[in-house]
Amino acid sequence: MKINLITGFLALLMLFSNKSKAQSFPSGKDIAQKTHEKNEGVSMSRKLTMELKDKRGKIRLRETISLRKYFGKEKRLAIFYQTPKSVQGTAFLTYDYPDVSVDDDQWLYMPALRKTRRISAANRGDYFLGTDLTYEDIKLETRISREDYNYKTVRKEMIDGQECYVLEGTPVSKEIAKELGYGKVKFWVDAKIWMLRKADSWDIAGNHLKTIEIKDIKKVQNIWTYHKIFAKNHKTNHETTFLISEIDYQTTISDDTFTKEAMVNGL
Amino acid sequence: MKNENQKATNFFKYVTSKYKIILLLSIIVMTGVALFIPKMTKDTSYDAFLPKDDPVLTFRNKTKETFGLKDPMVIAVVNEEGIFNKKTLDLVQKLSEQLKTVPGVDPDQITSLWTENNIVGTYDGLQVDPFYELDDLSDDKALKVKSAIEDFELYQGSLVSKDQTTTLILAEMLDSYGKRQHEVYKSIMTLLEQYKSYDEKLYLAGEGAVSGYLIKYIDEDAMKTNPFAAIVISIILIFAYRRVRGVVLPNIMVLASVGIALGAMAGFGVDFFVITNGLPVVLISIAVADGIHILGEYYEAAAKHPNFSQRELVLYTMSNMWRPITITSVTTIAGFLAVSVSSYMPPMTYFGLFGALGVFAALVYAIFFIPSALMLLKPQTSRAYKVDQKVDRFGKLMELVGKFVVKYPKFILAMAVVIIGLGINGASHLEINEDRIKNFQSDEPIVKADALINLKTDGTSYLDIFIETPENEDIFEPENLKKMQALQTYAETLPHVKGSVSIVDFLKKMNQSLNENNTDYYIIPSDRDLVAQYFLLYSASGDPTDFDNYVDYDYRLANIRLRLDTGEYKYEKPVVDSINKYIEHHFNSDSIQATTTGKVTVDAYWINRLGFNHFLGAGLALLVVLIFSSLSFRSISAGLLTIIPVSISVLFIYTVMGILDIWLAVGTSMFAAIAIGIGVDFAVHTVDRLKFLLSDQGLPIQEAYLEFYKSAGRALLFNFLALALGFSVLMVSSVPPLSQFGFLVAVAVSVSFIGSMTLLPAIILVTKPKFFSPE
Repeated sequence: MKINLITGFLALLMLFSNKSKAQSFPSGKDIAQKTHEKNEGVSMSRKLTMELKDKRGKIRLRETISLRKYFGKEKRLAIFYQTPKSVQGTAFLTYDYPDVSVDDDQWLYMPALRKTRRISAANRGDYFLGTDLTYEDIKLETRISREDYNYKTVRKEMIDGQECYVLEGTPVSKEIAKELGYGKVKFWVDAKIWMLRKADSWDIAGNHLKTIEIKDIKKVQNIWTYHKIFAKNHKTNHETTFLISEIDYQTTISDDTFTKEAMVNGL
Repeated sequence: MKNENQKATNFFKYVTSKYKIILLLSIIVMTGVALFIPKMTKDTSYDAFLPKDDPVLTFRNKTKETFGLKDPMVIAVVNEEGIFNKKTLDLVQKLSEQLKTVPGVDPDQITSLWTENNIVGTYDGLQVDPFYELDDLSDDKALKVKSAIEDFELYQGSLVSKDQTTTLILAEMLDSYGKRQHEVYKSIMTLLEQYKSYDEKLYLAGEGAVSGYLIKYIDEDAMKTNPFAAIVISIILIFAYRRVRGVVLPNIMVLASVGIALGAMAGFGVDFFVITNGLPVVLISIAVADGIHILGEYYEAAAKHPNFSQRELVLYTMSNMWRPITITSVTTIAGFLAVSVSSYMPPMTYFGLFGALGVFAALVYAIFFIPSALMLLKPQTSRAYKVDQKVDRFGKLMELVGKFVVKYPKFILAMAVVIIGLGINGASHLEINEDRIKNFQSDEPIVKADALINLKTDGTSYLDIFIETPENEDIFEPENLKKMQALQTYAETLPHVKGSVSIVDFLKKMNQSLNENNTDYYIIPSDRDLVAQYFLLYSASGDPTDFDNYVDYDYRLANIRLRLDTGEYKYEKPVVDSINKYIEHHFNSDSIQATTTGKVTVDAYWINRLGFNHFLGAGLALLVVLIFSSLSFRSISAGLLTIIPVSISVLFIYTVMGILDIWLAVGTSMFAAIAIGIGVDFAVHTVDRLKFLLSDQGLPIQEAYLEFYKSAGRALLFNFLALALGFSVLMVSSVPPLSQFGFLVAVAVSVSFIGSMTLLPAIILVTKPKFFSPE
């Protein structure tokens, strides 16, 4: 009887271990790498509407034209404000260098001052133009960092009807945690097209900080493209919605568009 | 009269026949209601002084809500050698970070040199950065922080004192912790204790801290005053009757009165306010008086009629005593209700209401419980009342008073006229004033912290000015910004206004920073769009919520926050008045409107009502007492006689307040109505008894007076001692308004007693009113 019990138990154990083998997931590192291999085209123009909502439900609506172009591995991004009228003509330009040790360059052109002003190299965890997204979020878009976190792939979940890997990440060091402003993150990465669909983050003290959802992912000119980002800060109850339309990867954008001079002239 | 007495006797026959049920019911009601007491919540905030739906209060709450303003705990870090060194800045960082972990503190709402950002212009841009980072903090870096602050006018006086020896750390509480401020206060005090050995001295004050500490403070005070009052009263009872039942029975009445009043308060969800702390002591003193009169009569009867059975004694006592006891209780209730009706402030309204309930409970227990309890016992005599009618020394003392009155009635009348004259003069010079910090004794650490912060920095009293424009982004309009600037400039010329902050200050700083830090550009930007673009630029490196306290999300509403170095009404009121006048004449237009609000405005508004409410309450109490005693004596002249001693006692107090420089404030303003309600009892007993002796019994004046002083006079003396000593117990309270209240009522009651014992009989002697003539 005793022996029977033990063999039964062993059989059960083997069954389970087999099962977990069948369920083994790609490592976080591999998933992160895959998100970086996705085709993003060389240049892109789009209409970006930022809807910012404070905790009392008051809304600031800003319509912009956003242009992006890769110069080799260097990414340049220009945002031209169209509304509200008071900031019409204001332009934001950033050079995002592949070398992490080099600070990115950023400028803002203010038509009312008729001057372009450099913005100090922001912390990666600083908020981007009054939104709930950080400079780091804007830089990575649908990718996830390869260096900043130790990942653990925990399970698969469905997001918007698509299968996603769920990754839990903790910053590799205290310094990185402080720089990013996160003590813990959780990512949902699409298992087929390797795009980030959802991200949750916690602050260093462990409070739930933010949820970001990347929505309406559709193919545009054969490139998987998101059309909406929703971000909510759980601590301040501030919300940001990015609505993206008129996406075009094919128009050629002149290199000169990404210069301080071009900012002054506008589009 | 005879008929009435018969009715009363029948009534008490019924009561004594059901004494077991009555005793049982008495205990059930008393404990049942008192069981609610542990549910009592405390509210020591200054908001408590206005009804929740008051327009001034709701507007201030709307302003707080719009701009996320709270009453912070303020920690002052003081280093007499200057704060700009590595060690002190290190301490500021440590405290700021540790505060974030204190339960109840909102970790995102800590404001200090460590958390705030500096706005610096660079040769081609704008930088928004923390004043310092921990990694590169050195004494040299600390000096850079010093010059940054010297360059940032906004933070001078508000974050760092102008003499640079003090810097503040402000901590806001989470909304969910609203009523547990005292716990947060305690945790922060414990945190600060850890740094006791440091050279830097740490102080904790601010509105949040004051409210938090007050809760603990009044608790400790109640633990001290209430038992003390009970002991004092018991000693008086021992002296009066030298019998166990003479001490125990009145004490049970006291328990019933206090238990029912406080239990009902808790049961109805009424908060316990600072002045509520005085209520138990007040009720103890009042409730015991009924017991004294009943037992006095009982022992006198027992001495006179040794053959009476216990039931006969009880019936005799109660049918003689129910009338004066009911009259005096009703007048006392009238005094409390006058406070309740005349006051606009919930703490006083409830003090009056539940005080009245407590007195009513004492009356009901005197009528039902005392005779029932006596039925359980055997007849007993007191050594204080001997069969041979020999008068004890207290009776003798009163006889002396009687002899004096009969001999010098005119002298007494003259004295009264002098007191009236002085009192009217005093009343016209009353100073209406209030300061919440005065709820603590002057040697309390929080009082010292408050004084230090007010001395070194711009202060801890806030006056907010709510700015409204018609359309979104209208705040950007340079004309509007200039108006706000002019208003700030004007406000800062007013006494006690030490500083002001608005979005204008930040815009000026940004303008300067974007123009190569040239101080000539510390001005309002000239163009509406430029302002909008500055905010956008700021958002490229600052936090999206950085300006929440000063401008709303639509840029349609703004807040100007003034800081005053005083919380005293008499200084706050003129500031609010001046600013309101300025707003009306120089500010408001179709394109911009301003409204004063904030703690200072709310103070100025409600304390302003104190004076009016005080005189209204006193007048109302007098009127009710007059009507009631006129009706019960069926004579207006008798009614007028009864209110003479209390009127004089109140006038006397005005003189005392003038001499001792006591403010007419929240606590003290209630004295008059309550002193009238209580003090009139002596006059009621005096008139009642003298009428009985002179008119009903038809005794000659000399004889009647002698009889009056040695019997009723003696009982009134103990009644007076119980009241005066009971209220004096409040004087040991650590809460100055309560101790002043206790002092004033004790003095007023003394004057009423002396007046009733001297002036009243003197008037009757001199004028010989018809009311007292033999039938």
